Amino acid sequence: MEKSSARLKVFAILVLVMFAALSTRLWFLQVLATQVYAEEAQNNGVRSVAIDALRGQIWTEDQYGKPNGKPLVQNRSSLEVRVDKQELEESGVAEQVLGELSAMLDIPVKQIRRDLESKLYFDYQPKPVAEFVDEEVAFAIRERQEDFPGVQVRNASVREYPMGRTASHMVGWVGQVQAAQLEQDEFPICDGSGPSARCYGPNDMAGQTGLEVQYEKWLRGRKGFQRYVVNSDGERIRDLGGQQPTPGGDLVLTIDSEWQRAAEGYLEESILRTRQVLDEDSGTYFKADAGVVVVLDVETGGLKAMASWPDYDPRWFVRGLKRDEVCYLGLTEKCSGADKVAPLLNRAYQEVYLPGSTFKPFTALAAVKEGYADLGTGYACPSEYVHPGDESGASFSNWSSQDLFPGTIAEHLIISCDSSFYEWGSDFWFRYQNDQLGEDNEPLQKHLRAWGFEKPTGVDLPGEASGFLPDAEWGNADEQRDLFGQGGWNPGGYILTMIGSGYMSVTPLQLAAAYGAIANEGHLCRPHVVDRVMASDGETELKKVNGQCDRTVPYSQAELDYIRNALTQVPIRGTARLPFLGFPITEIPVAGKTGTAFRGDQFQDTSWFAAMVPANDPKYVVVAMVEQAGFGSDVAAPLVRRVIETMYGIESDAPVITQTGQD
Amino acid sequence: MDVVAGRVWADERRPIRHLDPMLLIVTAALVVIGLFAIYSATSQTLRADGFDPFSRVNKQVVTAVLGLVLLLVMATFDYRFLKVYAGFIYGATIVGLLLLRIPGVAASETGTSNYINIPGVSLLQISPSEFAKIGLIVILAAMLSELRSPVPTVPDLVRVIGVAGVTMLLVFVNVEIGTTIVLAAITVGVLVVAGTQAKHLIALAVATIVVIALAFQMNVVEEYQVERLLTVFDSGSVSEDARYNLEQSVIAVGSGGMFGRGFLQGSQTNLDYVPEQHTDFIFTVVGEEFGFFGSAFVLALFALLLWRAIRIAYLSKDSFGTYLATGVASMFAIQIFVNVGMVIGIMPITGIPLPFLSYGGTAMLVNFVAIGILLNVHMRRFK
Repeated sequence: MEKSSARLKVFAILVLVMFAALSTRLWFLQVLATQVYAEEAQNNGVRSVAIDALRGQIWTEDQYGKPNGKPLVQNRSSLEVRVDKQELEESGVAEQVLGELSAMLDIPVKQIRRDLESKLYFDYQPKPVAEFVDEEVAFAIRERQEDFPGVQVRNASVREYPMGRTASHMVGWVGQVQAAQLEQDEFPICDGSGPSARCYGPNDMAGQTGLEVQYEKWLRGRKGFQRYVVNSDGERIRDLGGQQPTPGGDLVLTIDSEWQRAAEGYLEESILRTRQVLDEDSGTYFKADAGVVVVLDVETGGLKAMASWPDYDPRWFVRGLKRDEVCYLGLTEKCSGADKVAPLLNRAYQEVYLPGSTFKPFTALAAVKEGYADLGTGYACPSEYVHPGDESGASFSNWSSQDLFPGTIAEHLIISCDSSFYEWGSDFWFRYQNDQLGEDNEPLQKHLRAWGFEKPTGVDLPGEASGFLPDAEWGNADEQRDLFGQGGWNPGGYILTMIGSGYMSVTPLQLAAAYGAIANEGHLCRPHVVDRVMASDGETELKKVNGQCDRTVPYSQAELDYIRNALTQVPIRGTARLPFLGFPITEIPVAGKTGTAFRGDQFQDTSWFAAMVPANDPKYVVVAMVEQAGFGSDVAAPLVRRVIETMYGIESDAPVITQTGQD
Repeated sequence: MDVVAGRVWADERRPIRHLDPMLLIVTAALVVIGLFAIYSATSQTLRADGFDPFSRVNKQVVTAVLGLVLLLVMATFDYRFLKVYAGFIYGATIVGLLLLRIPGVAASETGTSNYINIPGVSLLQISPSEFAKIGLIVILAAMLSELRSPVPTVPDLVRVIGVAGVTMLLVFVNVEIGTTIVLAAITVGVLVVAGTQAKHLIALAVATIVVIALAFQMNVVEEYQVERLLTVFDSGSVSEDARYNLEQSVIAVGSGGMFGRGFLQGSQTNLDYVPEQHTDFIFTVVGEEFGFFGSAFVLALFALLLWRAIRIAYLSKDSFGTYLATGVASMFAIQIFVNVGMVIGIMPITGIPLPFLSYGGTAMLVNFVAIGILLNVHMRRFK
């Protein structure tokens, strides 16, 4: 037995070592590292689910706070069917349920299955398989809930547009947050480090265009969250409370819904009518492929209307785009024969144009400022102009093939003479030529920039274009050799800019803002669409948008009045006389300028009209532009007239287009 | 020696007077702790599903009572009868294991069940491999106590390995790796105490490895068995389920801290995060709800139990008793080590229950039988 007792000791020692190992490990787990595991256990059992805040509404000024006011954008609840995959599979009748669901929702079983495999959701979350489900279908599911294990009907919220397409460009649309957005600082990603009211999950909605994205942080509100305990199957065991979401703020726009609708309606009508008119220059019908109307409050910078055509219906994005809509919107290259009309573009500020003669007030004042012209002097208006010393035979034509009567700058604005402006353009060229290395050898561009050209107006909408003013540096660059030849920058650059032609460009909104400065004692405002952001209670003002009208253009009141008074004559006896026939011009005087921009032989002319109303004490600027539509007085001027008639409640049956044959 | 003194001497040596009360108390304490742990692990789910929250606990109590009866039966007759019937017991074990291979007898139609349904007894399913542990202990003790030489010779070893190998093979093909390991540990434990030379033990280890390798080579083992074995050796190839199981179990034990989260207060336990918690992972309940103190207390009880078993082996009047007790001690020791080690992440996951705490019929009964054998050897330690 001695031997075996020794061996038993060995055995006992082995057992002791074993216990030592277990105890050491237990000490480590339960005493040294317990904090880590306690936390993991905590996270294991507690789930936090975000509750989306109701997105703010968008209202026009005239509708907001009215008893029967209609918003531009509100929220609509959508009945959504979600399926809890685990619960469905555990029920053992997944096949039958999917089959029945497919029949009721009119969605192929295959697609439902694909939705259920979606990695956008965690497995403990029920996954959406259908939205905008009919009331009856939703009711049928709820009524026989026991036959639909794991199937839930929920109320979700989507955007609704009570005014339809009205202001669709400004409003923009909402969609699933894009990967590119999530790379920006304004879109912090939910990384699961705790409930964050401002963060974005992969399936969250976010503004994609227009005001929806510009005012995203106001509209979105703050997410709430609900915490609850789940077991290992993901079943909710107990609610732990949470935080209610804060609804987003409502945008109150400076837009007047009546005016906006009128602007959009007349714009469309004008374009469709113009397309039936034969263009004598090209011998084809006018294409009239796009147009813009802008109504600006000159004292505040607030936009009262901003229409861009072609437009789109924001409701398409809510219910999902159809094939032909995808093609129409130009979202894919795959559509054969589709015209590239770019309906998503808000041409009022996202596209640039040659402004034509509507640009003359600004270039005239520049010429006056530099001493090349004088407000009192009379100038000739020949049909042809040749730059002094140019023996190449190149000449610049006036819009009229006949020599017009000589007159003051005012007269030349009224009849829209080009030739005198050409001459001042030559003066600017000589200024440059005689002082090529000088600091201030291109004063024309400097004076034009003072009106806000060549830089964004700062409108509270995304994707604004800045326009362009050609200058010597640009003209002498190698890239422009095709345009100017080996000689580089030449007199034509100045001469054409003087009449809003050549290589320059502006946005219709820039032009409206500049006219606003003429109208508003030289104060140049920042145009804006939003007046204020209101909390969802309707009482607290969260943000007031400022037009920053404290900037002024460097011209005297007399100079500005001179221009305004000259333009007042345009609808009375100038280029816009015909389109304003029958308009109560004495009661509501209109100061306006027509424009017809030559875009080269492959395009038809751009039709412009820019107006200040009432001319004696201007309150609004109205600018209209129609691409490839011919003379400003034929299309844009009558269009502006109809809009002004709506603004002042004037009954009228004036035609939306006229035929004058005048700039 | 006068008659009276002789009677007193005999009376003093009556087996009933030499029960090991500590062994009984320790066993009872473990069973009671097990009942609390099982209640904690199962009551929530049972209640949620509309069952009596005590139903698992009740069944365990019934099993424990049945186990106590078996313990008393095992303690009443002289353990040396076991040596007489060792061959018969061993034979019965092998037959039981073979029965599992016969379709229709096994509880599951798939043929991979480890249980035999006892007709008319719905409460219990008998798992022959559990009883194989006892059968092996008895036959090994019987063989090794009858050796002619002081230490086992090579032919002795060959016979012993043959006997143990057949049992292990039958259990192994039934996909019970855990039990196979226990059987191996019993064999090694008894061989060591029986005085097997170190070189023979080493040769044995080498031979085992060769056999396992050959089995793999010749595809004797099925695919899933290979997989299972691999999970034992290579944590990288552990299945998702097993890894989840391990993670959750370590979190449960770790989150218990020094004093535990309190009875029925463990979130891992209450929310069902630890799979198979009332059976193989019962120790997580102790760890989470009673903390380091609770875990250490349970380990201390097991240590006491093993100390008593080794002491009984030491005190035994014959080598058969010593080997019996050694076999029982080995059986408990390996189960405690592998089970608790698995729960706290230092041993691979194998299906070995924790003695007396884990919910489950046959294993519980076998543990009681083993305690009965220990008591028997202890009571009859005087020549």
